Amino acid sequence: MYIIQTAFNGVISGVIMTLPALAVTLLFGVLKFPNFAVGAMMTVAAYLAFALNAQLGWPLLAAALTAALAMGVLCIAIDQVTFKPLRERGGITLMVASLGLGFILENLARFAYGNAARSFVIELARPFRVADIRMNYEQMITLSVSATAMLLMWFLLSRTATGRAMRAVADNPALALVRGIESPRVIRWTWFITGLLLGVGGVLIGMDRALEPPMGSNYLISVFAAAILGGLGSPLGAFVGAIIIGVVSELSTLVLPPNYRIGVPLVAIALVLIFRPQGLFGQPYIRK
Amino acid sequence: MISFIILMSIVVCFSAILALALNFQWGKGGMVNFGLSGFYTLGAYAAALLILKGGANAFVATVGAMLIVAVVCGLVALVTLRVTEEDYFAIVTLGVGEMLRLVSLNEDWLTNGALGLAGIPRPFGASVPPEMYPYFLLGLSLALLAFTYAALTVIARSPFGRLVRAVREDDVVAATLGKNVLWARVRIFAIGGAFIGLAGSMHSFYYQYIDPTQFTNIVIAYAFMAVIAGGRGAHLGTIAGAAVVMVLLEGSRFLKDAIPALNSDQLAAIRIIIIGAGLIALLIWKPQGFLKEYRLRTEERT
Repeated sequence: MYIIQTAFNGVISGVIMTLPALAVTLLFGVLKFPNFAVGAMMTVAAYLAFALNAQLGWPLLAAALTAALAMGVLCIAIDQVTFKPLRERGGITLMVASLGLGFILENLARFAYGNAARSFVIELARPFRVADIRMNYEQMITLSVSATAMLLMWFLLSRTATGRAMRAVADNPALALVRGIESPRVIRWTWFITGLLLGVGGVLIGMDRALEPPMGSNYLISVFAAAILGGLGSPLGAFVGAIIIGVVSELSTLVLPPNYRIGVPLVAIALVLIFRPQGLFGQPYIRK
Repeated sequence: MISFIILMSIVVCFSAILALALNFQWGKGGMVNFGLSGFYTLGAYAAALLILKGGANAFVATVGAMLIVAVVCGLVALVTLRVTEEDYFAIVTLGVGEMLRLVSLNEDWLTNGALGLAGIPRPFGASVPPEMYPYFLLGLSLALLAFTYAALTVIARSPFGRLVRAVREDDVVAATLGKNVLWARVRIFAIGGAFIGLAGSMHSFYYQYIDPTQFTNIVIAYAFMAVIAGGRGAHLGTIAGAAVVMVLLEGSRFLKDAIPALNSDQLAAIRIIIIGAGLIALLIWKPQGFLKEYRLRTEERT
C-alpha cells in the first residue's frame, strides 16, 4: 500500500514538472540552447503571485494567472535585452548568459523577500482518501491545472498557425525562413508561452512545497532530465519524461536515502545519453 | 588594515587559481563547467579529510586532492562526452556538482554534515612563528599561484595546448585531422580539475574550518565573471579578473556600514545580482574581455 501511495506522490511531483519541462523543450527546440534560468524564472513568477495573493489579498487563481501573464511579457523583455544580442554567438555563450540571468532573478526574489520560507494564502482543507490513497486538495488543483495547460499546449502546437510556425522553426529554421515564417515573431511567441508555463509551474511548486528563493532552481536538474528523457524538442516527450522522473524519484526513496533523490534524474540523463541519445520521443539529433 | 590586506591577498591567490582552472576548461578548451562549486567542495573536503582522517601531511593532502578532483572530472567528461554534445555536458556538470554538495551535507560519518570539519592544521604551522604566519601563507599562496600560472602556460603553449584550442574552435576539423577529440577533452577537464583541487585544498588550509555553506553558487558566478572579464583564454587577464572581482566582493562587505537599511541577506543578494548583470553585460559588449589570449606569432618576413 505504501508503494502505491509513494507512486501517487511521484505522479503529482512529475505532473508539477511537466510544465517547466515543456518550457525547456520548447525553448530548446526554437532557440537551440538549454536555458539554465528556468528555475529562477519560476521563483520570480511564484513570488509575483505571492505578492498579489498574500499581500494584496487576491484569490490565488487570479493571482497565479496574472503572474503567469506578467512572466510571459517579462520573458519577452528578458529575451530582447539578454539573449537577442547573443543569438549568433553559439550555444555555450547563451548557456553562460542564462546562468548569469538565473543568478540575477533568484537574488531579486531574495532581495525582496529574504530567505525565509513563505506560503500562499489558501483555504486549508483536510486530506481525503480514495481507495486508501491519501490525497489533498492542492494535489487535485495541480492535476487539473496541469492537464488543462497540457491540452491547451497540444491545441496550440497542433491546431494553430503560431504553433505550426513554432514547430517549423524548431525543425528547420532556414527552411522556415524561406517559407516566409518570421522567426523574430515566432521567438517572441515562444518566450511568451515559456513564461506562461513557467509562471503556472512556479505557483504549483510554491503550493506543493513553500516559497523560497531556491525553490525553482531545486527543480532544474529534474526538469532538464525530464526534457532530455523525453527527447529535447519533443512536447509529448517532456510530458512523459516528467511523469517518469517524478515517479522514479519518489519510488527511489523507498530504497535510497531521500537526500539523494537528485541522483535519479542524473542517472536517467546518463542512461538516456548512453542508450538512446535522442530521448524517448525525440528525433535523432544532428548538429550542423 | 595591513593584516586585512594580507588575508585578502591570500583569498585572491586561491580564487585566481580556481579562475585559471575554469579558464583552462572553458576559456581554452570550450568546456563549460557549471559544477565548479561542487568540484571545489570536493577538493577542499578531500584535502581536509586526508589530513584529519588519513593522517597525511599538507603536501600529500594537496596532491591527493588534486588527483581526486582530476580523476572525478576526467570520469565525468569521459562518460558524458563519449556520446554527446556540450549542451548535455553543461547539465551533467551542474548535476554532478549538486550531488557533490549533497554528499558533503549528508554523509555525516565522513564530512560531519552541516557542522563541517574543524581544526584543519595549517601547513608548516609548527615551524613558522605565529606572528609571521600570515606572511608565510601569503608567500606560499603566491608561489602556488605562480606554479599554476606557469604550468597552465606551458601546457597552453605546447602542442597539446594547440590541440586544446583546436578542439574549442572546431572539434570536427580537429577530428578530421586525426586528433582524438574525446580523449583531448577528458584531459582538458581533468587538468582543470587538478587545479580546482589545488584551489580547494588552499581554501581548507586558509579557513582551517570548512562547511557546506562556504561553497555556494557565488563561487561559480565569480569564477565565470573573472574569466570573462579577464578575456577567455588569457591567463594574466584571468588573474587580474579574479583579483578585481574578489576585491569588489570582499570590499562590498563595507557597504553594510554605509547602507544600514539593508540586512546581510539583501547585501549578499545585491552582490550576486551585480555579478550576474556584469557577466551578461560583458558577454554582450566585451566578449573578448580586457586582455588578449596568447597567440603563437611567427617571425615577420622581411
